[in-house]
Amino acid sequence: MDNLKEDLKKQIIEQLNLEDITPADIADDALLFNDSGLGLDSIDALELIVLLEKYHGIQVTNPDEGKDAFKTINTMAAYVQKRKG
Amino acid sequence: MSFITAYCHLRENVCSVNGELVATLDKSSEDAWFKQIYKAQEFVYPKFYKMDTLSQAGYLASELIKRAAPYIVNDYADDEIALIFANKSSSADTDLRFINSYEHNGAPSPSLFVYTLPNIVLGEIAILNKWYGENMFAVLPKFTPDFFLTHTQILFSTGSKTALCGWLEILGDKIHAFLFLIEQAGTGKPELNIENLSNIAGPEIIHN
Repeated sequence: MDNLKEDLKKQIIEQLNLEDITPADIADDALLFNDSGLGLDSIDALELIVLLEKYHGIQVTNPDEGKDAFKTINTMAAYVQKRKG
Repeated sequence: MSFITAYCHLRENVCSVNGELVATLDKSSEDAWFKQIYKAQEFVYPKFYKMDTLSQAGYLASELIKRAAPYIVNDYADDEIALIFANKSSSADTDLRFINSYEHNGAPSPSLFVYTLPNIVLGEIAILNKWYGENMFAVLPKFTPDFFLTHTQILFSTGSKTALCGWLEILGDKIHAFLFLIEQAGTGKPELNIENLSNIAGPEIIHN
């Protein structure tokens, strides 16, 4: 699980061009779409959907599902694990 | 009467403001050219990294012009600064990158897609500065001083007090970015006319 979280952080930095941020800067429970966290925007949400398909083969087709899954690194990792069974 | 009160040239390997060199491409750097300028000038705007090259060029040149004429931030109301930009290749550079993203990388990139219109650069500059004035981006066959003269006069007659204008042509490794500030007062500054604007733009922009 820890490896998955680390991978997700690296993939987010790569996919979203977060040049000044390192994986260590992203807390597992930081809110990704809140200014106190990463401050991502709606386009970044689309990039996260692309990221899950590109790196993990997961298609997010239900918007409500994505809303919960993309809250934090913890929720993303849990979502990836759940979808991969 | 209007005046050209500040201007910035951004080419493939040099960047200058009011004719003074401010940055030169470091070929040994791992950073892309625009990123070199961003870092060297100590700009802080993380969204820069997400922008396409057209918006990065517009951002850098507009910030450099603001540094050359810092008073514009306070001397004009947020709806008195107009933006009038043009180029020849529209957003073709980013359009091609977007096509490449779904042809070769497996999935189209949403963050590239949002830049597949040339006028997005105006939005980036307007959002950053909270400038709510008139704006337009024209796609023209070539740099045309008349276009800028005519449109600044129209906008000045309808409420705008100043205009940040630009020719922002980027395609592949070719970069011709030329931003210039037009104001209605400008002691000692060149008057806005075809001859002065052509001279300041330079022959490489005029003849391309």
